[in-house]
Amino acid sequence: MSSKSSVWYSLLAVIAGLLLGAILFIPFNANPLESYRTMFGAAFFTLEGLGTTFTRATPLIFIGLGTVVAWKSGFFYLGFQGSLYIGAVGATLVALSARSGHLLAGAPAVIVFASSLFVSFLFGGAWALIVAGLKIRFGGNVVLLSLMFNYVAIYFVNYLVTRPLRAVGSLPQTERFPEKAILPRLLGERNDLHLGFIVALVAVGAVLYIMRFTKKGYEFVALGLNERASIYAGINAGRVMLQAAFLSGGLGALAGWSQVLGVQYRLLDGLDQVTGFEGIVTALLGGLNALGVVVASILYGGLANGAQVMQRRTDIPSSVALMIQGIIVLLVLTGPQVQQRVAAWRSRHIARTESTGDIGS
Amino acid sequence: MNNVLTIAFFETWLAASVRLAGPVLAVSIGETVCQRAGVLNIGIEGVMLGSALTTFAVTYSFGSPLLGLLAGIVCGLVLGLFLAAMYVTAGLNQVVVGVVFNALMIATASYTYRALYGNSPVIQSVTGFDQIEIPWLTNIPIVGPALFGQSPLLYLTLLFVGMTSYLLFRTTAGLTIRGVGEHPRAADSAGISVPKVRYLGVLTSSAFAGFGGGYLMLTAVNSYRDGITAGKGFIALAIVIFGAWNPYRVAVAAMIFGAADALQLSLQAAGVSVIPQFLFALPYVLTIVAVSGVLGRRFQPAALLAPYSRK
Repeated sequence: MSSKSSVWYSLLAVIAGLLLGAILFIPFNANPLESYRTMFGAAFFTLEGLGTTFTRATPLIFIGLGTVVAWKSGFFYLGFQGSLYIGAVGATLVALSARSGHLLAGAPAVIVFASSLFVSFLFGGAWALIVAGLKIRFGGNVVLLSLMFNYVAIYFVNYLVTRPLRAVGSLPQTERFPEKAILPRLLGERNDLHLGFIVALVAVGAVLYIMRFTKKGYEFVALGLNERASIYAGINAGRVMLQAAFLSGGLGALAGWSQVLGVQYRLLDGLDQVTGFEGIVTALLGGLNALGVVVASILYGGLANGAQVMQRRTDIPSSVALMIQGIIVLLVLTGPQVQQRVAAWRSRHIARTESTGDIGS
Repeated sequence: MNNVLTIAFFETWLAASVRLAGPVLAVSIGETVCQRAGVLNIGIEGVMLGSALTTFAVTYSFGSPLLGLLAGIVCGLVLGLFLAAMYVTAGLNQVVVGVVFNALMIATASYTYRALYGNSPVIQSVTGFDQIEIPWLTNIPIVGPALFGQSPLLYLTLLFVGMTSYLLFRTTAGLTIRGVGEHPRAADSAGISVPKVRYLGVLTSSAFAGFGGGYLMLTAVNSYRDGITAGKGFIALAIVIFGAWNPYRVAVAAMIFGAADALQLSLQAAGVSVIPQFLFALPYVLTIVAVSGVLGRRFQPAALLAPYSRK
């Protein structure tokens, strides 16, 4: 399928998904059209709603981008939850060192911002690098390895917030970050939108540039399409996979960075149990393409935001957002298959009518 | 910490280990068969969740845990049919399908629960099966309660372990399953229908995941809340690998994971405030060592994760 027709197909899938999703409102005696109007109105047509939508989209964009880089390179990484946690740890260490009496106490906010971004990316990248290293050195399965690493990361954060970084109080969490480590709000205190969203958009541009216009991006895609052929073409497969892993793990880590510095303002136990996988689903909805990831993330961020508002006003549970997204992704995934099958059936059908015609029975 | 290391501590810890290992072991057994046929069914996490809810709803409505458990298995089979269509007939990437399916099931279960019982339901609970206490034997110190005072579903699960091992390694059907997982093209040449065997593999793992979800509901939690399976399906994947795709070893692996899980509860109950997180992470680290092939990969089915087509 060409990229243009796949864009049209995705659009069609979104519409079909929303139509199918309309059924979900019926058990709650709600008018689907009105419910959608409430959802989309709350998510996209007020400045505050839009701010929340973009804020929700931010970690999804980071993980979606990580998924694009990893999966396009044939590195089927499912460890974004782990990367998110480890990235959150990196950001936390920098943020806590900006407290008075610590390393970055006297540093300006810009330095704290830059070093948190750097350390977080480095941590997440290194984390994914372990998986890639194990695969290359011993031939382990990336899918299974990265799933296990998620749990190690979860226990690591659990350890940090219950022991060395625990603040005084009844909850296992660090103390609140100092003001200058926190990502500034962009549209005033009443709007959730923070600087992390801008960083996410910059990351989109960077990934788009790397994948489309650089030799490295070409090597990533070549490796993902056919490992043996790319080795034959002179690509150092191991090294390129390590680079892809580092980049994708680092991008995934920024999801944790934006959550702790932009939303939660502290590291807590079980900080985010869903985004690690939802980001992958969002990337699939975006057709494993950096621009598609932005559109899909904002769509999903909006659905989730709108559904939450609706849950507060009516009985309809916010999980309808995730259901509609799941249905849309399933339609996108099965689309090429259905098309192929219909085409095969038609050509067989034509062949049969032609051959019976030839025999002239 | 010395004062907690009493016989009573070990007795409760061991009993809790076996109790917690049970549902995950059931799921792992089905997944072993499925992976032996060459399909990595990541969707078992979602199946478990769906079946746990189904078991809850049916048991709640009809008051019969047996009926609830059966409904959970049926739910597993229906979801398994859908998954098999995606994995086998459509030949889609197994990882992609599993991840999307799990995300969809988390939402569907949460939605369905609210559609059935309202948006902020009073937490209702169901009664499961009673434990079977085998007389005399439960009085054996330390291992007695762990081995002879458990739910009937545990004994059933252990029976499945033996049956699955026999099926895989002592019957023609087992040879067929393993052949499809190792070298589907050769199996196809020998006249075996690869899609049929893989459908049966996915259905088996989904039925067992349904059973495991119901088992979890009826013995461990007894009421539904969102995210109740808490990644137990993923843990089952780890157990299958750690158990080297061999039912008896899988049972041992499930015990190790169960022991780590139970240790958290037992230590908390014993009032230990210094929780050794590295001990809980240990089973996952061991699995990482096992998967990464540091110790050799001779057990992993060769065609795992590879969709098969004749072209």
